[in-house]
Amino acid sequence: MNTNQVSRRDFLRVSGLAGTALCLGFYFPSSAKEAEIINTTGTASSEIELNAWIHIDTNGKVTIFNHRAEMGQGSFQSVPQIIAEELEVDLKDVNIVFAQGNREKYGNQVTGGSSTIRSSYKNLLKLSATARVMLISVAAQKWAVSLADCYAASGHVFHKTSGNKFHYGELVVDASKLATPKEVILKKTSEYKLIRKPLLRQDTPLKTNGTAIFGLDKKLPGMLYATVERNPRLRGVVKSFDASAALKVPGVIKVFKVRMGVFKTFREGVAVVANSTWAAMQGKKALKVAWDDTGFEHINTADIYKRQQDSLQTQEGLFAKKQGEPDAILKQAEKTVDVVYQTPYQSHSCMEPVNCVAHYQGDKVEIWGPIQAPEWVQDYISEQLGLAKEKVIVNMTFLGGGFGRKAFMDYPHEATMISKEMSAPVQVVWTREDDATQGPYRPGISYRCQGAIKDGEITALKFRMAGQNNDHWRAGKTDQANRSTAEGFLKPYYDSIKNISFAEVQFETPIPTMWWRSVYASTNGFAYESFLDEIALAAGKDPLALRRQYLQEERSQLLIDKMEAVSGWKQRKKNEGFGVAITECFASTVGQIVKVSRAENGKIKIDQVWAVMDCGWYVNPDIIKAQVEGSIVMALGAATIHEITFKDGLVEQSNFYNYKMPRITDIPPIEVYIMENEANAGGVGEPGLPAFAPALTNAIFDLTGKRIRKLPFDLSAV
Amino acid sequence: MITLTINQQPYQIEADPDMPLLWALRDLIGLTGTKYGCGVAQCGACVVHLNGEAVRSCVTKLSRAAGQKIVTIEGLSKNNDHPLQLAWNEVSVPQCGYCHSGQLMSAAVLLRENPNPTDQDIDNAMAGNICRCGTYPRIRKAIHLAAELQKKEGEAK
Amino acid sequence: MIMSIILTMVGVMAFAWRSGSKKEAMLPLSALPLKKDSIASVKAFEKVYRVLMSPRCMNCHPSGDIPLQGDDSHLHEMFPKRGKDGKGLFAMKCGNCHQPSNTPGKHSPPGNAEWHLPPANMKMVFQGKSAAELAKQLIDPKQNGNKSMKQLLAHSEDGLVRWGWKPGEGRTLPPMSHAEFKKAWETWINNGAYAPKSNQ
Repeated sequence: MNTNQVSRRDFLRVSGLAGTALCLGFYFPSSAKEAEIINTTGTASSEIELNAWIHIDTNGKVTIFNHRAEMGQGSFQSVPQIIAEELEVDLKDVNIVFAQGNREKYGNQVTGGSSTIRSSYKNLLKLSATARVMLISVAAQKWAVSLADCYAASGHVFHKTSGNKFHYGELVVDASKLATPKEVILKKTSEYKLIRKPLLRQDTPLKTNGTAIFGLDKKLPGMLYATVERNPRLRGVVKSFDASAALKVPGVIKVFKVRMGVFKTFREGVAVVANSTWAAMQGKKALKVAWDDTGFEHINTADIYKRQQDSLQTQEGLFAKKQGEPDAILKQAEKTVDVVYQTPYQSHSCMEPVNCVAHYQGDKVEIWGPIQAPEWVQDYISEQLGLAKEKVIVNMTFLGGGFGRKAFMDYPHEATMISKEMSAPVQVVWTREDDATQGPYRPGISYRCQGAIKDGEITALKFRMAGQNNDHWRAGKTDQANRSTAEGFLKPYYDSIKNISFAEVQFETPIPTMWWRSVYASTNGFAYESFLDEIALAAGKDPLALRRQYLQEERSQLLIDKMEAVSGWKQRKKNEGFGVAITECFASTVGQIVKVSRAENGKIKIDQVWAVMDCGWYVNPDIIKAQVEGSIVMALGAATIHEITFKDGLVEQSNFYNYKMPRITDIPPIEVYIMENEANAGGVGEPGLPAFAPALTNAIFDLTGKRIRKLPFDLSAV
Repeated sequence: MITLTINQQPYQIEADPDMPLLWALRDLIGLTGTKYGCGVAQCGACVVHLNGEAVRSCVTKLSRAAGQKIVTIEGLSKNNDHPLQLAWNEVSVPQCGYCHSGQLMSAAVLLRENPNPTDQDIDNAMAGNICRCGTYPRIRKAIHLAAELQKKEGEAK
Repeated sequence: MIMSIILTMVGVMAFAWRSGSKKEAMLPLSALPLKKDSIASVKAFEKVYRVLMSPRCMNCHPSGDIPLQGDDSHLHEMFPKRGKDGKGLFAMKCGNCHQPSNTPGKHSPPGNAEWHLPPANMKMVFQGKSAAELAKQLIDPKQNGNKSMKQLLAHSEDGLVRWGWKPGEGRTLPPMSHAEFKKAWETWINNGAYAPKSNQ
């Protein structure tokens, strides 16, 4: 077990900080739910491991460890913006450093579930306010005045009446000797100077001149480059391989078999190590590998959906959620709707293909890469290699996109095994084709949705899904329903509709599946919100009015007010198609309205998208808008442009020519609005995605009367 | 020995003339601002200027680049102050940021050849660059802003 | 000298070199072959037409300003535009992706040092043209890039034309060998460059 002394030394080493300073952190005592703030400058608290750190040096420079990945969602901006607010420093004086993977120190570091802010903002506010109060206390003592006569601003403490001031740097030594105050008063929202302001992102300049270091940009002295030919059927082992041609490629150094963990299973491949990425890629092309995938089904996409949809007609599945007696109501109902929706497998396809640098040094291994879950990587590698956790050092770089893909351990494990074989630092580069064909993917899912209507009112809803359960790849139990079956469905519906059930009809394939931006809400949202549209039609109600009627909760009502106001929903004209969808994801609710029309060439044109985000307490409205815009673009691609399909167990897409991406020419005007309230902060990076596809297909129905129940669909062919 | 002139600096490298410029830049010379995205000229993450044209370095062999004038994102401006870089910052265009070296190098050719681009001109210039984060609306906005900044810069001179 | 020659024959309505405006330039008489055999000429053009309408030729002679792509001649991904000189626009010039030679790989850009579309003032559209229309267009200097008969004859050996028979991995070849095409091309021209009946 590390002591705090060691932890602090690590912190100073990695951040390049030294000297006397005020160093505060927070930790979660095992007995309490609330984090405690602790002064770690001294040695008194030597037994405690901290979750996050701020460090103020004698020049007044503030350094914080960003314990979450920066993959575009803006943690590099949002976290300092929170700290600078309560600490009363200028944003430019806050330096941010990537933390290493360390579960003890930072707690859950997995950048997933849109959790960076919502899981830590209260503690970050408290931590910063505590430091501020301690600095003010020292100044008040020095001046022998009361605390109330002093205030902090721009990295200084001021005395109100005399105008005297101290720079924070002049106070840190004495402040570090103080005990942390038990209670601090946090600012009111109305007092914020930085939070809730659309401040420019501090990481932008690094991203406009090539200086931001992504995983692929990491270089080490003596570093070699590797590519890996992996089993194209995703599972199974190498039977044999012929490296003779590969070894003739100039620059190729060594070719060998490598095994990497894929969750609880594994995959094999043949590694080609060379002195440049190009040589490694050429060597890989020259390889001949025979594979043995005995025991793994060679699956076809058409069979996947047939099996799912057949089982949805015959099986009830495992209940994930149930209230009332929807079955009984459905049996007696005069008017029912019973339809099936289908959603595709999707690849994350980050612009930065998967890659990782590992340097195995016998008794320890150090890893650098675009990594969403550094402490998972630390746990996994330490377990696989039998190394103590502190001997597995995991460094995060900027991520060129993550979307869930880079939260897994297969690629760091693979890089570690290759570095071990070479006894040298090695960067493993996945080609775009590797990235597209190896998964894990968002699972393709079929949904059967049934509803009963009586006198124009919804009396029962019954939802069943058949699709792979991501949890089964990790620790998930196979005798329990997928806990995400109801994700995306708004909670107030449970109050207004008395009979509802969600069930999962289990479905397995050998295809590795995992989280993809907004996870199950991304597909559930399409099924459930399309279905509500179909129910509205059957009940003879306006689709938005139906939602207003059944979402009897103040926040929902305000959200709908806003949606109506910005979109002109009630004033819509005959030749315009308007569609609505409202979904919940990671504690935020997003409503979207899409307007479509038929262009002169006869094709459907998306004229406008309005998105309203209710994420409660928030930090930077411009980052939120950017995340929602990006989520809508990603949703547009997944709904109308690309899908992963399988033929005889092989993935049919390989690069952007057959897994096409939305381009600048495809993007409709998007307006994003943020609801103002003080509720607990919700997620931002993902919740903007699920509502788009159903809002679009609902709009197309409104315009054309054609109901789209299968994604993706060709917008130009409607 | 192949001679490359990159950002006005001469470089001598020992490499296969068939090696794409991208990998020579990144692995042999250490200029990692130019990114690998697809390897087949589909995404534009690797765009650099070759004699002023926005070529895709992933398919441009060293044999074509040798002796020519190459500019990478590191050389777009000295102080990160090309009108496009200023506009990118002002509009907070990048999210993950990975594709933006290529986006900026493509947009720079557009602005040079057409100081007042319309939305259609932007489509005509930028449809070759993919952004998975979906920053397209901001790319459009920032190019319009950069055009204004460029004009002001010109007037000031 | 402007002139028009109208030939008729059994079963084939030969086309006019030109009709309509007298201002249109015509091929100089001296360039015309001595031998006139409309049957042999039209028959040869059938072959020529099959080649010109194959994706390898037609894809860069689109009816719009965006080239076509693939064996199914879909609009080129990312919609590159012709530009004034046929070499693209701004950051999307042909040569930015298309190298002096084919880039290896099934989905990599094909290449040739001359890679371009016809320029904006001389679009030389193949897409959607009937055999009669295309034949007439090909020999009209106003529409064929101001090519004389001699230059037209030599065009079958043009570097970019020849690329059609070395198009790189994954691209279907034109429906006959280059030698056969060249022979048909020359037979067509040398026998009078007749056009098929307009409904053919």
